[in-house]
Amino acid sequence: MSGTGIGARVLRKEDFRFITGKGQFTDDVNRYGQAHAVFLRSPHAHAEILGIKLDAARAMPGVIDIFTGDDLAADKIGGLICGWMIHSKDGTPMKAGAHPALAQGKVRYVGDHVAVIIAETQAQARDAMERIVVDYKVLKPGVSMADAVKSGAPVLHEVAPDNTVYNWALGDEAATQAAFAKAAHVTKLDLVNNRLVPNPMEPRAAVGDWDSGQDAFTLYTTSQNPHVARLVLSAFIGIAPEHKLRVIAPDVGGGFGSKIFIYAEETVCVWAAKKIGRPVKWVADRTEAFLSDAHGRDHVTHAEMALDASGKILGLRVKTQANLGAYLSTFSSSVPTYLYAPLLSGQYDIPAIYVEVDGLYTNTAPVDAYRGAGRPEATFVIERMVEVAAREVKQDPAEFRRRNFVRQFPHQTPVIMCYDAGDYDAALTKALEMSDYKNIGARKAESAKKGLLRGIGFSAYIEACGIAPSAAVGSLGAGVGLWESAEVRVNPVGTVEILTGSHSHGQGHETTFAQLVSERLGISIDNVSIVHGDTDKVQMGMGTYGSRSGAVGMSAISKALDKIEAKAKKVAGFVLEASPDDIEFKDGKFSVRGTDKEIDFASVALQAYIAHKFNGQELEPGLKESAFWDPTNFTFPAGVHICELEIDPATGVTRIDRWTAVDDFGNVINPMIVEGQVHGGIAQGVGQALLEGAVYDSSGQLVTASYMDYSMPRAGDLPSYDVGMTQTACPSNPLGIKGCGEAGAIAAPPAVMNAITDAIGHEGIAMPATPLALWRAIQKTAPRAAAE
Amino acid sequence: MASVTLNVNGKSVTRGVDARTLLVEFLREHMRLTGTHVGCDTTQCGCCTVHVNGEAMKSCTLLAVAVDGATITTIEGLAKGQDLHPMQAAFREHHGLQCGFCTPGMIMSAVDMVRRKGTDLDDKTIREELEGNICRCTGYHNIVKAIHYGAEAMGKTGTAAE
Amino acid sequence: MAMTMTGEVALSASRETVWVKLNDPAVLKACIPGCETLDKTSDTGFSAVVKLKIGPVSATFKGSVELSDLDPPNGYRISGQGEGGVAGFAKGGATVRLLPPAEGNDGCILSYDVEANVGGKIAQLGARLIDGVAKKTADQFFNNFAEAVKAG
Ligand code: FES
Ligand code: FES
Repeated sequence: MSGTGIGARVLRKEDFRFITGKGQFTDDVNRYGQAHAVFLRSPHAHAEILGIKLDAARAMPGVIDIFTGDDLAADKIGGLICGWMIHSKDGTPMKAGAHPALAQGKVRYVGDHVAVIIAETQAQARDAMERIVVDYKVLKPGVSMADAVKSGAPVLHEVAPDNTVYNWALGDEAATQAAFAKAAHVTKLDLVNNRLVPNPMEPRAAVGDWDSGQDAFTLYTTSQNPHVARLVLSAFIGIAPEHKLRVIAPDVGGGFGSKIFIYAEETVCVWAAKKIGRPVKWVADRTEAFLSDAHGRDHVTHAEMALDASGKILGLRVKTQANLGAYLSTFSSSVPTYLYAPLLSGQYDIPAIYVEVDGLYTNTAPVDAYRGAGRPEATFVIERMVEVAAREVKQDPAEFRRRNFVRQFPHQTPVIMCYDAGDYDAALTKALEMSDYKNIGARKAESAKKGLLRGIGFSAYIEACGIAPSAAVGSLGAGVGLWESAEVRVNPVGTVEILTGSHSHGQGHETTFAQLVSERLGISIDNVSIVHGDTDKVQMGMGTYGSRSGAVGMSAISKALDKIEAKAKKVAGFVLEASPDDIEFKDGKFSVRGTDKEIDFASVALQAYIAHKFNGQELEPGLKESAFWDPTNFTFPAGVHICELEIDPATGVTRIDRWTAVDDFGNVINPMIVEGQVHGGIAQGVGQALLEGAVYDSSGQLVTASYMDYSMPRAGDLPSYDVGMTQTACPSNPLGIKGCGEAGAIAAPPAVMNAITDAIGHEGIAMPATPLALWRAIQKTAPRAAAE
Repeated sequence: MASVTLNVNGKSVTRGVDARTLLVEFLREHMRLTGTHVGCDTTQCGCCTVHVNGEAMKSCTLLAVAVDGATITTIEGLAKGQDLHPMQAAFREHHGLQCGFCTPGMIMSAVDMVRRKGTDLDDKTIREELEGNICRCTGYHNIVKAIHYGAEAMGKTGTAAE
Repeated sequence: MAMTMTGEVALSASRETVWVKLNDPAVLKACIPGCETLDKTSDTGFSAVVKLKIGPVSATFKGSVELSDLDPPNGYRISGQGEGGVAGFAKGGATVRLLPPAEGNDGCILSYDVEANVGGKIAQLGARLIDGVAKKTADQFFNNFAEAVKAG
């Protein structure tokens, strides 16, 4: 068929509006009569609120109203929730402290919400905010995890007197111990997965609106999953019943996980719209985004790996402390547990694994999913371990990996996951070739001549995507099912609208989803439009995260298209006077098998609606079908990334020279878009390894709260990428798709750190490996390269 | 209140504004030209880049009164009707955008880069010149490519000389 | 964000004279950089308004100043705290000691031991600048004070 089907490098349909400045982001939405909200935030990491004086602020020009936690409580507005129940080893449920949208009596991190000021303009609201006087009784904060678990540490939530949310474990402890008992060699490593701020370029924003005639609310918000937002705002927070609350997520400027969650600000805006009888708009500035967007990562880990004499991995033991911040954000509890530990087997056949994770409260912003969510942390552990193990037993890191690869599929790991399909050798072989690994020695010598340290690092990652099936995640504690929905509406003229519960915030669904329809129905993508992000249009959906839109979202569309095809065959049967069983559908035409009688798709659509050729008892008029898709397994994208870099020992400055990525994403809908996802993911992973880090000082002040102090990767920090692919189709969905959105961010950090430690000759460097940190690390030990 | 007169995308406009109104606020709120975005509060992301008298500037750090009388081009004024500017076309052609939030600023910076550095831009120059623009989605690979080809196309179509 | 600093200045007057000045609100007000008002609220307490600029953030802090550990004429502790609204908060103190002059000199030596703490927007946006500003502010205060002593 035309060049717009599956596998075609189709240019994006959504681009026109973005390159001409016509995108509609939440901050571009303006409602008649809208007022502006700003939030007064705590300057203290931990304090009791003894009193709030609002009079002077209320008297300021333009002020409409000011609300505090008491006002929300008086209206019985519930707190924010964490939707994934985790049980500790001893069977007790996790200890979730109350999380009011506006503080009640206590603030627990710098940036915590104390009051909302609503005024005619944002500037007036800010001016009034200056006049609010809060009487704080400052408490000692527990800022680092080490501080939070010390005896006598300040307690954040009474439900968790030791600041511990859970002590969780996965795997077989006895079997793992037995594996270590017979080990010929044990590799041990302490690792820190640095805290990150997601930083989508569009800051969060919300516009709440209330229709007094219908007592119904509309919320425009920067969300990756507007339906989940509606569900939580209705069922748990109690803003309004679902049929009285419409949530619209228009164009969203990147999310990377941080826009999955339901935050205080949108809750307050939609509630306040009714309180003041006017639309209420809030837009975060970047500093607020740093303070109050959920952060990512922040693990401290000790890991041990048992090897036999030949270098075969016998067992893995991991102990991790995970910082969950001051409150449990929407999915935070699952990230360091079920999204982390089940991936610790990596691409390797490891007979025994035991993982313990302590989730901790600290006086810092909540920590939740950030691109990859748990899987980058797991990959960092296993890929650093494997690299170091190979070094210790003096084997080539590529061959060491190959020796331990899983080769038989399906493969049941000792930590829940059952890998369904893959070919890890193929990806490694291709990556070695693309990166010209065999000549690395010569390139290192060349660099050494210039006084530079060259290193090469591998990362053979695997991830579990799709974040489904519902029954599986339900058994692990998820509060929701993780299927996806689709509706296909064929118009009488044969154009098609797809309603999807997935949400695009940069992924290009308007193009890739249309490609699927184009392929299946034989129509041009110009005749397909994708409708998403509006709970009044799309009935229900679970949104976009965890690389799930292709594998789960498109599978739902595919299933609905099956139904469309079946129905259309019946219509064609009446028109062509043949049994539907004899109707064939190919290249957009229905024909009667063995004859030259045929009718095109658009004509069948028209016939379905004019309904002249059949009576309504035999066949319902119209052509519209819907489907829910719930897969039978996660999907398992995997691949090999190789980073090659040069470090100047005089300055500690790292320059990435080559980046090779070979990924197996299963079947690919649009290679151009997939490559773009890989590029973006790698950039975030390199950012984590070399540049980024959220830093709180000992009093709990976030000292990296702007782009002056938080180092975002810029064009000059990054290389161009060499991207290749291998393909094994995913057996658990009809399209064979695995998902590609997180791969780069998962693969990149260990690849960079393995390359850096290769270059400097020891493991004593943590992320971010800034020039200063590297320069210091280089002073500490004579580099291996120089010593040899 | 201060009176500000600007020529925005070829049209002269005069508005009375609060003296502290930033150029970006003038464009977004008074003119409803919402293609110019705000991504930070410390003049570092470049999402707000527009052309002031032909030069790329960050509109989040300019007071509207300070540029009284200037000629402003925003992303909305770059295309000639339905005909995309070659730099816009190149961003689409080379997949130089994902979420599209940084894109208006990127394109406005890229056009200015061609004015200053010519139509034959190598990767290194482009990456250095993008110092003031942050993109969180694309990893820059395709933006660099798009600017390279966009610059070349500006040379061929004579747009660069305008 | 916390920081500490210590220093010494040689003063031209005797400890007794300096001690009086150290307890004189008018002198303190003139010497504290950015101090707009300093009103006595008790024998050892003052309410104060101080304007401070750190990098991109400037704010007016309203708060209190307290003198304690009074040991005339050997020294005292001066501490203060202020809320700067959206800009955040600042608090800190100094242990001030008046020492006899070095052999053969007149006057006395004033030594100080300052610790300061800021939070909120000033910490978020001005983190890299705070050490410098704090040091400069302390230097300014003690230089002003030395001038005031010289002027009698
Ligand atoms: S908004 Fe102007 S540089 Fe970020
Ligand atoms: S395309 Fe999303 S920030 Fe650049």
